[in-house]
Amino acid sequence: MLRITGGKIYDPASGINGEIRTLYIEDGRFVASGEGGRTIDAAGMIVFPGGVDVHTHVAGGAINFARAMTPEDHRRTQAFIRSQTRRSGLGGMAPTTFATGYLYAGMGFTTVNEAAVPVLSARHTHEELSDIPIVDKSSLVLMANNELLLDQLDAGEYERARSILAWYIRAAGSWGIKAVNPGGVAAWKWGGNAGQLTETVDGFRHVTPGTIVASLARMCHDLNLPHPLHLHCNNLGAPGNVSTTLETLRHLEGHRAHIAHSQYHAYGGDDWDTMRSATSDLADWFNTHDNLTTDAGAVLFGDTVTITADGPWQHLLYRLTGRKWGNLDVENETGCGIVPYTYRPGHLVNAVQWAAGLELLLLIEDPWKVFLSTDHPNGGCFWRYPEILELLMCADYRQECLRQLPDRIRSRILLPEIDREYSLYDVATAMSAGPAQALGLPRKGSLAVGCDADVVIYEEDDNIRRMFSHPRYVIKSGEIVIEDGDIRETPDGREFLVQPHCDPDTETFIRPLFEDCYTMSFDNYPVEPHRIPRAEIHHRPASP
Amino acid sequence: MGGKVTCTLGEVKNRADFIVYWGGNPAECHPRHFTKYTLMQKSRWLPRGRKDRTMVLVDIRETKSAKAADIFLQVRPGCDFELLSILRAMVRDEPVDPDAVAETGIAYDVLEDLVRRMKSCRFGCMFFGMGLSMTRGKHMNSAALLTLAAELNAFTKFVAMPMRGHGNVTGADVIMRWQTGYPFGITFNRGYPRYNPGEFSTVDVLVRGDCDAAFIIGADPGATMPQPAIDHLARIPTIVLDPHVTHTSRLARVHITTAPAGIAAPGTAYRMDEIPLPLKPALKSPYPTDEEIVRRIREAVATRPFWMPEDSPQMTTEQL
Ligand SMILES: [Zn+2]
Repeated sequence: MLRITGGKIYDPASGINGEIRTLYIEDGRFVASGEGGRTIDAAGMIVFPGGVDVHTHVAGGAINFARAMTPEDHRRTQAFIRSQTRRSGLGGMAPTTFATGYLYAGMGFTTVNEAAVPVLSARHTHEELSDIPIVDKSSLVLMANNELLLDQLDAGEYERARSILAWYIRAAGSWGIKAVNPGGVAAWKWGGNAGQLTETVDGFRHVTPGTIVASLARMCHDLNLPHPLHLHCNNLGAPGNVSTTLETLRHLEGHRAHIAHSQYHAYGGDDWDTMRSATSDLADWFNTHDNLTTDAGAVLFGDTVTITADGPWQHLLYRLTGRKWGNLDVENETGCGIVPYTYRPGHLVNAVQWAAGLELLLLIEDPWKVFLSTDHPNGGCFWRYPEILELLMCADYRQECLRQLPDRIRSRILLPEIDREYSLYDVATAMSAGPAQALGLPRKGSLAVGCDADVVIYEEDDNIRRMFSHPRYVIKSGEIVIEDGDIRETPDGREFLVQPHCDPDTETFIRPLFEDCYTMSFDNYPVEPHRIPRAEIHHRPASP
Repeated sequence: MGGKVTCTLGEVKNRADFIVYWGGNPAECHPRHFTKYTLMQKSRWLPRGRKDRTMVLVDIRETKSAKAADIFLQVRPGCDFELLSILRAMVRDEPVDPDAVAETGIAYDVLEDLVRRMKSCRFGCMFFGMGLSMTRGKHMNSAALLTLAAELNAFTKFVAMPMRGHGNVTGADVIMRWQTGYPFGITFNRGYPRYNPGEFSTVDVLVRGDCDAAFIIGADPGATMPQPAIDHLARIPTIVLDPHVTHTSRLARVHITTAPAGIAAPGTAYRMDEIPLPLKPALKSPYPTDEEIVRRIREAVATRPFWMPEDSPQMTTEQL
């Protein structure tokens, strides 16, 4: 039994906004009452459900490629020194696995969603995820450029494609599906891209990015997946791309979806010289449609490394910057590109990106619809989230930051006119309750009885960045893992997997197609769930 | 420039109509490479298999692999970096010095033909072996080849991949990276990972005689390393885990026989393109697995006093 008394409770999932209540914890969950055990006196403190990151890149072939490409950053970053109970590691732009767990937990986050997993290397991703301590994990499998699935869509075989999708989700040990630049990454296999939603994808006869988006969103619904389609739209990063993004949203035909890192998809203008923020167009759509959630993909100034399955975009970024370029095309499934990048306040495009991320977080009115993210490490590293919270909670600080930017920026952004400030309740929603609900993760993002006892307790502080960077206590599944800035315990987290219904003949159907185009034996391909440590498997019957 | 523009082997199998092997002899060193991945396979885009592909071999001598090649280019030993730099210039239509071309041992018009083929193929792939990466110029040679592949993407699809071998060396590299940030050449002597190839690489540590014990799993440095390194291994307590008797096990203080991975021990191995493959043992072994031995040693070590001072900090932002 652990009791937390006297703290101001912020639990948006239960509608509790700053009331003083007592929390009771037993066997890793919240319970209604109890006696004995330890009591944390949280008088004068703020109590949140543990943070949930809806979209991050912390494990697998892509981030591990980025680690290989950035030794110069490892050498200048913070290092975790080993102890008898704690492993060593490095922080920085692409933190090592053990450090990833310590850094997330140290900031009060207790659940993270790895947003991009190829099936072919899913075994690797799970091995890395199990080496990330403390936090619970889920992952999304990359699907919008899978050639076996696209072939079926091309042939008009929707139901067959859906069975293949269900089979792949099970094979990858995933929690849902991610679509990256639908059709564009498949076209990149020949050096091309896909920018128009209604144009046939290179190498196919009928299928278009639009049909891929519509079909996948419908399949997520049919398969009754806990998380809807997680969508990285076409034309990421390009000036004027807001029209593509809005057209993509129309192609969803009312189905649910989560739009990833929408900052990168909210630009007006015709080219790099005229690029401007078009976040109000996108925010209007979110404010008037209830089938959608999004995460900001906010940008912070400084060094980072960009990682995405969007291979053609990364080729362009390499040519624009002349910096290192990593590319890894994954047979029949997806791609991946890596380019180190520095966001500079004096650079007009970067300044627009910085403003656009904050604008989306502030202009989308309902914090249940827009969540905190930097698309780690793309817009900035996850351990910099407290900087974003300070920008969201203090309009004065925002104005101060705006004064550091070139004057010409003002006509291209909306941020100077926005005076909204996030309340603590808004922060708890955008950082925990909202993403947990969107992910469909059971028992996360809430302090209600029966939920996982993941709690973060902050000492009230006028310095917002300091407050959110250094929680007084972090509790994971009822265990105090951080206390007074020290890592106390490093328990292993769980991994959430979903197993949708899959027609029994699917495997017989896929096998010959697979053997024709893959280089691995079919029987070795699916990840065996028993080889994923601490997996929590959720079976889902199909939607009626 | 840095980085690597690459793909998994299935992309080569399905799409590559132009393949270059540089400084390697796959016919003898990776005998299944041609048939499984690069030359003989048919695909929806290369329906005639070998006939739809062109293969170029670049090496300092005519190995058995030359028989499989459509074009063999014999580069003068030690001139790989120069040749790659000339190709990079030619790809960009920049002028090249005829004397420099002559130095490489390959005629200008042959290079012109090569560049034309590289730019006009649909999907090109360069594989490079130790004949490039371990000869004069070393990692600079690899970087030049990787840069050439990257730059060709301005014209067509082009990738490159090192030919790695020796069991699961890729797996060791992959896991060291996710746990420490670095692939090899790592020291933990300050309590956190630091990297400096040439200083902390195994061979350098042994040659200098810096370590006072060695623990060797699934490798046989006694067969390949320079004599001063081998002498040092014989001098210090060396422990070897290996299914077989090896050069190293003979000079070791302790040799623990282990079950061979993939035959009698399960696990995961990483292919040269970093794709993880599950190992499904076909036989039972009376010997323990490497994993079990390491775990038991670790448990035994954990009962001893911890080597770092009680009041060590959790973290440092000032790496030394
Ligand atoms: Zn992302």
